[in-house]
Amino acid sequence: MLPIVLLSVFGIVVLFLGFSKSKNILLPATLLFLLVTLIANFVDWNHQYLYFNDMLWGNNASMVFSGIVLLSAFFVVALTRGFEQEGEAAQPAEYYGIMLFSLVGAIMMISYENLIILFVGVEILSVSIYILTGSDKRNLRSNEAALKYFLMGAFATGIMLFGMALMYGATGSFVISDISEIIGTRAWNEQSQLLYAGLLMLLVGLLFKVSAAPFHFWTPDVYDGAPTIFTAYMSTIVKTAGFAALYRLLAGSLASLQDYWFATLATITVLTLLAGNVTAVYQTSFKRMLAYSSISHAGYLLIALTSLTAKSQSSILFYSLAYSLSTVSAFGVLILVSQQQASNNYDAFNGLAKKNPFLAFVLAVSMLSLAGIPLTAGFMGKLFVFTDAAQKGTIWLLVVAILASAIGIYYYFRVLIAAYFKEGDLATIRIAPFYKVVLIIVTTLTIVLGLFPDLVLQLV
Amino acid sequence: MEKMHLPSDFLPIFIQLGLALGFIITTMLVTHSIGPKRNSKLKDEAFECGIPAEGDARTPISVKYFLIAILFVLFDVEVIFMYPWAVNFKSLGWAGFVEMLLFMGLLLAGFYYVIRKGVLKWE
Amino acid sequence: MNLLSLLIFLPLFGAALVLFLPASQTKYFKWITLGFCAVELLAAAVVYHYFDLSNPSFQFVEQTDWITLSLGSLGAVSIDYLLGIDGISLPLVLLTGVVMLVGAVSSWQITSRQRAYFSLYLLLTASIMGCFLALDFFLFFLFFEFMLLPMYFLIGLWGGPRREYAAIKFFLYTLLGSVLILVVMIALYLSAFDPYSSLNAQTIVHTFDLRYLADGHNYLPNSLLNGLSAHQIMGLDARLFLFLVLFAGFAIKLPVVPFHTWLPDAHVEAPTPVSVVLAGVLLKIGGYGFIRIAYNIFPDAAAEYATLLGILGMVSIVYGGFNALAQSDLKKMIAYSSVSHMGFVLLGVASLTPEGLNGAVYQMVSHGVLSAMLFVVTGVLYDRTQNRQIEAYRGLAKPMPAYTTLTAICFFASLGLPGFSGFVGELFTLMGGFQSEFMPKWIATASTLGIVLAAAYFLWTLQRMFFGPLWTQKGVESLLADLTPREKIMLLPLAALTLVLGLFPHFIFDITSATITEFLKKFSLN
Repeated sequence: MLPIVLLSVFGIVVLFLGFSKSKNILLPATLLFLLVTLIANFVDWNHQYLYFNDMLWGNNASMVFSGIVLLSAFFVVALTRGFEQEGEAAQPAEYYGIMLFSLVGAIMMISYENLIILFVGVEILSVSIYILTGSDKRNLRSNEAALKYFLMGAFATGIMLFGMALMYGATGSFVISDISEIIGTRAWNEQSQLLYAGLLMLLVGLLFKVSAAPFHFWTPDVYDGAPTIFTAYMSTIVKTAGFAALYRLLAGSLASLQDYWFATLATITVLTLLAGNVTAVYQTSFKRMLAYSSISHAGYLLIALTSLTAKSQSSILFYSLAYSLSTVSAFGVLILVSQQQASNNYDAFNGLAKKNPFLAFVLAVSMLSLAGIPLTAGFMGKLFVFTDAAQKGTIWLLVVAILASAIGIYYYFRVLIAAYFKEGDLATIRIAPFYKVVLIIVTTLTIVLGLFPDLVLQLV
Repeated sequence: MEKMHLPSDFLPIFIQLGLALGFIITTMLVTHSIGPKRNSKLKDEAFECGIPAEGDARTPISVKYFLIAILFVLFDVEVIFMYPWAVNFKSLGWAGFVEMLLFMGLLLAGFYYVIRKGVLKWE
Repeated sequence: MNLLSLLIFLPLFGAALVLFLPASQTKYFKWITLGFCAVELLAAAVVYHYFDLSNPSFQFVEQTDWITLSLGSLGAVSIDYLLGIDGISLPLVLLTGVVMLVGAVSSWQITSRQRAYFSLYLLLTASIMGCFLALDFFLFFLFFEFMLLPMYFLIGLWGGPRREYAAIKFFLYTLLGSVLILVVMIALYLSAFDPYSSLNAQTIVHTFDLRYLADGHNYLPNSLLNGLSAHQIMGLDARLFLFLVLFAGFAIKLPVVPFHTWLPDAHVEAPTPVSVVLAGVLLKIGGYGFIRIAYNIFPDAAAEYATLLGILGMVSIVYGGFNALAQSDLKKMIAYSSVSHMGFVLLGVASLTPEGLNGAVYQMVSHGVLSAMLFVVTGVLYDRTQNRQIEAYRGLAKPMPAYTTLTAICFFASLGLPGFSGFVGELFTLMGGFQSEFMPKWIATASTLGIVLAAAYFLWTLQRMFFGPLWTQKGVESLLADLTPREKIMLLPLAALTLVLGLFPHFIFDITSATITEFLKKFSLN
């Protein structure tokens, strides 16, 4: 509860700080607030808690999930230097404020006990992201992306709400532990049909948020159109929160119906893996490729979710962390390079390694981690996810995942080819010291977690 | 390794898929094939009671109208919370009073923010 | 620190040294690399010195807990930093020492981006050593896959005109192989457990320890890979199916036809030292993986599929040979000859006889030495003229007598002339093929065609390029200087080595035989 309260208050404070003359105070203040929240997030460590009339539920795992979200937010915010220089149209205080508010939504999605909280959380997060997507007001692509995201997202949440209503109709409760109990008393063929319809619609809404195929069509346009920093923000935070919410829903209340939803979710997993990876191959823009790669990573996470073994939660958790870290550093490098080159294409990276070995190295580690090469966190994440599938015994799902990860190498390495093998006239890019520190921390974490994954996993 | 999934378990999905696709394709084909196609310049024109169309149907309105309107709705809805509170004022006691103060405080903070932002300045 | 850890961390330390020395010291980078590779060979020799030849089990074992993860209801899994060496890996470790040293000398010609080159080279050395020394499947896999990275950059940054294509093709093929291995690895560790730790920890401790994985008793009852449980995957017994998957993973590395197409491309584009390392050691990891992992863990499946694998070996031998005959590019010809020669390794392993397996390890060492020499020879010519087409030269014997002599030696050794190492390796693997109870005789008979083909393409190439009156393209003749001292330093020891190994093959067989006799007991039970 504490992080939610703190974030709301801090959000308002940041809005008012925007009125002060010196704009330079905003970034450090926001970072400080995030840090305080990050610490406050763990006050209930080793306690299982219920707050707000039993509507919020949490344990160590959900605190770690919130921690990942807050940490990614911290890193992304630390990389926001770009939008302060956009002139009069820029509203830095509002952006920081909205980011803080959106985190409230994310944390609610992670630790809900009542479906209403889930809905409110999804809405808070989504509405904030709609605004951030359109924050580059003079850019037509940004506007288009925001509108597209808003329209589709509104449909998705509508369907999700419908699903919740149907589930309420079937079970008479919004509380997921109650739902689980009620479902548990009946055999699968005695369940109300409303429940199945409700479950499917609820899944549609949440799968839209994590951009799983076939609900992924908004992703490339929105990721491409949004200012890069907010693309980084949404691709890490929405994904982590979305998967935490999905896990909570499926494991917390619908685990006994796994035989029923397994086929559906497995089909979606395969579709997501194929759609993400195959389409990513044909991209010429690095930013757009990252959008498709985020779809494909949703696919890997879905493998763990579909299998739903005892270890799925820690797999999802570790994978989200690994994915968030690599994504942050990839976007961090992209921001610097695209400022210099005014382009998001692979060509913009040509010859990066020559004058900017540090940036090229950060990029390399991040790409290797996304591709799942050993000694990076991404590899360990893949290993855990594959283990889940093997435990469930779905070898065919593994086969698809293997093919997908082999395809993945091709497009992740394209940017490395550009950075290391191609000739280019990229000058030395000046990196602010703080920016550099963030990139170093993220890269180090990626490697350390690749060597010692138990550092995080023993927490849950 | 719980229940095995036979390929036939996936059958409903494919039937659903087939039906959905089939419906769309059939409808599109049928409308294209049986619908009459007669185009003329007059038919393509917008119909406006016989008067020649003039200008864009969507006249731009200043964004300030929308801001004011949405702010009105916002504060309007928030004030609704006060009715149930007032009815239960006694039973809620001091805790309820403090909570409402907090709520009003936040509301006023928002109001102050709106004023400082210059949203209400009409120029 | 244990000697085996030293073998891995020494080059890593060297790589770090090269990476962090100031740019003004660039001229020393190659000396540092050379020094570390020399010490590496020395350390390998020390291991050999203290190695107990009569002991068939692992020696110098070193074990440290690394990662322990809870698997919830399934118990826990422990990943160890576990090293050890036995009669199968020791010859290959020695070979790695030699080839990496030769490669380091051959790297003298690298002039651009030396810091990156030499640190990657040392990194590659470390990961190859790690591959041969790891006894934990997970650790092996880490080294196995991490090895691709330095290799990818070495080909991609210092390669020929089509280097990007070759590098990504190399990476994609071998990565696909390693992901296949990954799947089997996951299935294995979920099925197997460590009996001793499980007893202590009062829970099931899953393990990646190859020694436990190789023992059928350590598989949980009714788990996917327990020999007694009848799980099926895609209509095939789970153990057979996963053996094939694992085999395919290593077959890409070896390479076995039809998974070989990345090899010629990688070789043609790679710079000489990288080709030397690629053919000299990297391919051996495929063969090593067969013996150490695939055959060790799935002896039942290996016996079941002996015929199929033997046929694949034969096809590699013959198909590689015919392809080599058809090449006009010298380097491509040698690449295909590698495919052919590595086919003998597969044949020998598949035969499951003492001759076959000893011969296979011997053939790996022999081919390591010979292919290193062959690629150095090619590199010598390419350095001078930037042209590797066989048709572009005639009568090279006149301007380059020493070069011609050494080339002839290594060609003759490669085609299996008695007295050189190539002969012994091919002889023993073929003998294994003939004596095997697991496969029909016609496979070995057909494989002998490979020797004939080798004679044909090597002798024909020798005749076309070196004999007759001198003829080359205009302006090239002046470039044809004879061997420099540096090139002699590389070629002479290798030539001596192939001769010594050919005359005294028991150097290798003494190391391998005890371990392999023990290893084959698994198969006699079946």
